[in-house]
Amino acid sequence: MGSAPPGPVPEGLIRVYSMRFCPYAKRTLLVLRAKGIRHEVININLKNKPEWFFKKNPLGLVPVLETSLGQLVYESAITCEYLDEAYPEKKLLPGDPYEKACQKMVFESFSKVPSLMVSFLRKQNKEDCSDLKEELHKEFSKLEEILTNKKTTFFGGNSLSMIDYLIWPWFEWLEALELNEYVDHTPNLKLWMASMKNDPIVSSLPTDVKTLRGFFNLYLQNSPEACDYGL
Amino acid sequence: MTDDATRTLGKGSIPPGPVPEGIIRLYSMRFCPYAHRTRLVLRAKGIRHEVININLRNKPEWYFTKHPFGQIPVLENSKCQLIYESVIACEYLDDAYPGRKLYPYDPYERARQKMLLELFYKVPHLTKECLVALRCGRDCADLKLALRQEFCNLEEILGYQNTVFFGGDCISMIDYLFWPWFERLDVYGIADCVNHTPALRLWIAAMKQDPTVCSLLTDKNTFLGFLNLYFQNNPGAFDYGLSC
Repeated sequence: MGSAPPGPVPEGLIRVYSMRFCPYAKRTLLVLRAKGIRHEVININLKNKPEWFFKKNPLGLVPVLETSLGQLVYESAITCEYLDEAYPEKKLLPGDPYEKACQKMVFESFSKVPSLMVSFLRKQNKEDCSDLKEELHKEFSKLEEILTNKKTTFFGGNSLSMIDYLIWPWFEWLEALELNEYVDHTPNLKLWMASMKNDPIVSSLPTDVKTLRGFFNLYLQNSPEACDYGL
Repeated sequence: MTDDATRTLGKGSIPPGPVPEGIIRLYSMRFCPYAHRTRLVLRAKGIRHEVININLRNKPEWYFTKHPFGQIPVLENSKCQLIYESVIACEYLDDAYPGRKLYPYDPYERARQKMLLELFYKVPHLTKECLVALRCGRDCADLKLALRQEFCNLEEILGYQNTVFFGGDCISMIDYLFWPWFERLDVYGIADCVNHTPALRLWIAAMKQDPTVCSLLTDKNTFLGFLNLYFQNNPGAFDYGLSC
């Protein structure tokens, strides 16, 4: 709030408006890193948004990409696909139309997880979570079935690809929310998590459990300091 | 008569055989707006296809092997690959089949169409709620107001772009993805929801001129016949209007 709008994006660079703890924005950051795209990051205080940010995204949400031509792309999945198409090196989505459609169908299967995790975050230790726990268990079982049927380590095959990066950020929350036991009944998913943690791109953007918990506490209290926690 | 005018398959029906090479199969229902998207794309791209209509109130047991929850539309090709979710199916067809591309080539323009689709997401639910409310004799003034607001957002886009269609001056994927719900406004009894959106009305008129849209327009009386039976929970609804 009250900050000066940033200038235009220099040529040869792409800018991402982000927030250090936002899992949606993390998707875009992972893709930028995985594809080796030169970029700059501007973090937005989501509890105290600058007025100029609504010119970048009328919904005022992160992530948003801005190019040196002033083009704006938002909605995390759309930003990730845009990057994969605009930057031809190191394709993360398969070239085969059916394999690409499969990744999108897996993405749909994942779609209930983000809101469930947020519900967990809000309810933690305060109310009875057994309904939520059952729902989360169901969603994880769906993902387990996909891995079991595919007989591969990752959701797109034996190498890490777009779909893995798209769903990963919420699995980083498991430890911070003390939900690690939820992958005890889903061995393939548990193995997938371990493989993801070993990926050089994922490990270059770690999320420290203590810092994340610190952020959660402040965020739930609507503190404007939340987004800068740990700096 | 369009090639998708076949009787539905229901419980106890024999599962269809494999899809012949050179053809793609669509599991559909003649009045479903989501499946309508896929039929528009198949037509627009001139893709050789066959349609199997499913009785949604009396689903064949075998259909759950095509979709875990028995939903439509689903595409099945001769390699037994299955693709579902209408938007995913439409994109798959655009990627897999050569010729006329419905999505733009430019990555930014493609992203724009996908962002526009996000703007549309409340429309299907709201139009359905209006239909149900009207059919059940309930007031739907609030729902119509909400729908009009969504239409205002779309109107703003057309105004800002100053183009006839949502993707530019030619019809493209995003227009086909929106169309089915606009075709249904009249028969659902909510055509007045575009009274205050002139650019949107112009778009509707332009869409009705498109040969693909035209070729798949459903006769109003047939649609009304379907709706009447559907709201009476008559499983014969889905076959309304077929001669034999």
